[in-house]
Amino acid sequence: MAITKTILKKKRRFFKHRKACRFCTDSSLKIDYKDANLLQHFLTERAKIVPRRITGNCAKHQRELTVAIKRARQMALLPYTTVAPI
Amino acid sequence: MYQRKYEVFFIVDPDLPDSDLKSLETRLKEVVNREGGSVLSYNSWGKKKLAYPVKKRTRGHYFLMEFVGGSGLPQELERNLKIDERVLRFITVKLDDRYEPGKDESTQVPPPPSFDDASTEEKSSSDSSEMTEQEEQEQGQENE
Repeated sequence: MAITKTILKKKRRFFKHRKACRFCTDSSLKIDYKDANLLQHFLTERAKIVPRRITGNCAKHQRELTVAIKRARQMALLPYTTVAPI
Repeated sequence: MYQRKYEVFFIVDPDLPDSDLKSLETRLKEVVNREGGSVLSYNSWGKKKLAYPVKKRTRGHYFLMEFVGGSGLPQELERNLKIDERVLRFITVKLDDRYEPGKDESTQVPPPPSFDDASTEEKSSSDSSEMTEQEEQEQGQENE
């Protein structure tokens, strides 16, 4: 049982391919804190920032992105959380 | 001493009459000019529903102003924005450490007001749900 599990795991790893960073492949795409529609793609339903391992962003762009999202939150363009505070 | 390029993005009370918006605009421009800077652009980005209530308001009128000035200018401008009760919230961002007139004429064209439409927001929310599904799958893999 344990052996089959490890084999499965290996196979899955094999098929896992690296996603390319969206901002590296498309240079026209600029990270801007005022562009809430773009930033929304990198938030979960609970308005948490999606980690790099899911989105496939490179480290540099993920850093820029988190700053942009946090600025957008300050300006009420994006929510801090989706649970209504009222 | 180099001049720096900044932008200030701020939310104004959406129920204000046009005369108040005008007086706010002239007042902010006055502050910039008084401190030895110059305003590059002043644009309304339209009214938008806020992601969460700010000062008991659920809607806001967004404005973007780009300006050039010394390092003390943003501080003075923010002081004035804080005093003004019509301004709900603001953020100042430095765009360039050294501003040279004429260097970036092409990028100076202000973007069109992108708000005032709720349909685009609906679209992006469906995309984010896809993202979370992927996340769940990935997390499941790790737990095994």
